[in-house]
Amino acid sequence: MKKYLILLVVLLLVFLQGCSSQTSGTTQSNINKTLVIGIESEADVLDPDRAGGWVTYRINRQIHEGLLTEDLSAASKSQSVPPLKPSLATSWDVSKDGLHYTFHLRKNVKFQDGTPFNAQAVEFNFRRLIDKNFKYYDQRSASNLTNTVSDIKSMKLIDDNTIEFTMKKPFSAFLRMLAGSSQVAMISPTALKKYGNNGYSEHPVGTGPFEFQERVKGEKIVLVRNPNYWGKEPKLQRVIFVPLSDDSARVAALESGQVDMIAVPPPDAIKSLKEKGFNIEYGAPPHVWFLSPNFNNPYMKNLKVRQAIAMAIDRKGMAKELLKNTVTPAYSAQSPANDAYDPSFVDYPYDPKKAKQLLAEAGYPNGFTTTFETSVDGSGQLIPVPMAEWIQQDLAKIGIKVKLQTYEWISYLGKWSDMSSSVGFNQMSWGMSTPYYLYNIAYSTSGANAGKYSNPAFDKVVNEAMTATNTETATEDWKKANELIAKDAAIIPIVSDKAPYAMANYVKGFVVPNEEWYDLTNVYIKKSN
Amino acid sequence: MGAYLAKRLLYMIPILFGVSFLVFSMMHLMPGDPARMMLGQQAAPAAIEALRTKLGLNQPFLVQYIHWLSNILRGDLGTSITMQIPVSAYLFPKLINTLILAAGGLIVCVVIGIGMGLISALRKYTWIDRVLMFLAQFGANTPGFWLAITLMWLFATKLGWLPSTGMYDVRTGPSFIGLIKHLIMPAFATATVSLAVIARLTRSSLIDVMNAEFIKTFRANGISESKIIWKHAFRNILAPLLNMIGLQIGYLLGGALFVEVVFNWPGIGSQIYASITSEDMPMVQAGVLFIAACFVLINLINDIIIAFLNPRLKS
Repeated sequence: MKKYLILLVVLLLVFLQGCSSQTSGTTQSNINKTLVIGIESEADVLDPDRAGGWVTYRINRQIHEGLLTEDLSAASKSQSVPPLKPSLATSWDVSKDGLHYTFHLRKNVKFQDGTPFNAQAVEFNFRRLIDKNFKYYDQRSASNLTNTVSDIKSMKLIDDNTIEFTMKKPFSAFLRMLAGSSQVAMISPTALKKYGNNGYSEHPVGTGPFEFQERVKGEKIVLVRNPNYWGKEPKLQRVIFVPLSDDSARVAALESGQVDMIAVPPPDAIKSLKEKGFNIEYGAPPHVWFLSPNFNNPYMKNLKVRQAIAMAIDRKGMAKELLKNTVTPAYSAQSPANDAYDPSFVDYPYDPKKAKQLLAEAGYPNGFTTTFETSVDGSGQLIPVPMAEWIQQDLAKIGIKVKLQTYEWISYLGKWSDMSSSVGFNQMSWGMSTPYYLYNIAYSTSGANAGKYSNPAFDKVVNEAMTATNTETATEDWKKANELIAKDAAIIPIVSDKAPYAMANYVKGFVVPNEEWYDLTNVYIKKSN
Repeated sequence: MGAYLAKRLLYMIPILFGVSFLVFSMMHLMPGDPARMMLGQQAAPAAIEALRTKLGLNQPFLVQYIHWLSNILRGDLGTSITMQIPVSAYLFPKLINTLILAAGGLIVCVVIGIGMGLISALRKYTWIDRVLMFLAQFGANTPGFWLAITLMWLFATKLGWLPSTGMYDVRTGPSFIGLIKHLIMPAFATATVSLAVIARLTRSSLIDVMNAEFIKTFRANGISESKIIWKHAFRNILAPLLNMIGLQIGYLLGGALFVEVVFNWPGIGSQIYASITSEDMPMVQAGVLFIAACFVLINLINDIIIAFLNPRLKS
């Protein structure tokens, strides 16, 4: 009996082992051209106009393209801001008054379902966003992209391959917004008519280098090479995005070869991954983890208190010791990787002695007690609780006792921009590749101005920057706006994420640009055996 | 028995109502505005207000609850905010995946738990008994997620024997063998506490029975030891064992929810987790309700089994 049992177990193990090396109908060469990426959470909808969050942008932009795009082919170190470059528009003209944009469209381009891309398709896409009388107008997309399209007054089809936009007022960030985070990507009018605004995300069809094949929610999103792509053919045959929300699971999946690369490896795992031969690539994307002092809180109304806080936090120490150099200390509210960012700008250097002195001058020689609200997790939030504890310890050294109030991400987002007056400050992580980002976090009437900062001089210079018709003038205005934020210590930047990716050494050609997303057309797999 | 069943079924109605009310209240009390979530942070206030009116979010709490409940009773669990598809069509397959994992855990805890208990009882006070009971004690006090990560580190990362994530191999697609290989570690991580409970119960019950007078009589009459163990002693402990196994199913389901996130098992637990982080309230509400309903149902089945095994309750 025992012998039979042992034989059965051995046979079972051999059978399982045999099965593991089979590929169930998928050819080996195909697998070698497949890149599996472990992503940090489930993706949102595969409708670029509706989607929110960086995780989803990274997938959507492989399927869909906009009129122009960012050049993401260069590594972070070689260029600080990804330059704009043509995509579905080969060129564009902007009138001197900044009110007319004429786009010259690429010819002979087809959507992945064969629908021709032309001026009518562009008009169809924009009417979905701005024309409430249009049959396919989508309220959700319109709201999501309002910061990009709300200044468009009308469109005029010049010919099949030329379209002109007329703006209500000049909008200096328009081109960057078309290419960047709120990418107004072109989707196939045929697919949208067929599946409707709600059904499109299950059947996305764009003009991009990869086309949608399959989505098993919670398990994977599979894209395959678009054989009719107008641009350079991607080297990969397939890309599979696998949501792995637990960071230890992501690391284990990479180490055991189930995925080829992972986003957001935990700081503690980086050293050991490197030692095991995995490559770690860093960028300097537009990301700032910052504190928003609450201007409705009696202590925080005092400028010297805000300045004392900024000078008491050892941002460099936090970046090095707590976050193991996966971030850089941040000294500017403006996010890196945009034209108005000055890497040498320092709002307040680390100086706890001076901080204590400022606090005494403010009338609090023995400090005070206040509350700091933060989430416990969330996209781009890094490790918010240990970071908050670091800040708590630093502020204790100058006499400010901080009570931490933590929330899970959903609750936190719901109340983030609505601090009660008893709360001293809260925290957020954000950033954009356009300086327009400052409008979001600090303009007096912006819904995302969590601290309720209000400075007419700041609002004035932001208004000037937004309507400037000259890029240089706009950039200078944004720099002035940033200086005003620093002077008022209205935002206290802490660190900027270096967005590390960990990958097997056979993954070649992957570049981390200074953006929150990447280009996969140059990536390939090269195994030595 | 019929009256007992009817009474038990009737009890379920207020419990399910209570659960639904709690789930709805919980979501309602949470900060955040579903209309803003649907339209994004940049949406104009007028658009948000219009959507709030359309969704009935301006109505009083009780009106909203009754509306939500009547939809649920008609099988409409709402539409996912992030995916824009009916929640019921999406969550049902996830529930099946969770049940597969819980069933895997059940098989592990029944087979190994009873096996360990039997060996321990038959080799009582030997080193085998001590080792097995130490393992059971250790298992009973081990958090599921910790065990999950440890198993993953050992069997996926170090030894490379088993896959660490998902239900199938993403490169090659679904297969039954693939499913079994993917199931082993999550099933163990889910089952550990229940396994320990069953092992200890089996051991103590069997030792008690083996010391009973009737067993001594069998021995005195020369009946073989194996016949005594399997035909008489084991049968005697079956009723309390079944009772305990029934009780453990609820724990297995609860444990599966945590383990799913670690192993990326595409079940209700990882879906609730993903929905919380993506602010998809209808999905969270329905997911929690599904799980609560499963618990109530499992408790009912368990009570019925106990009633069958306990003649006093039958009457």
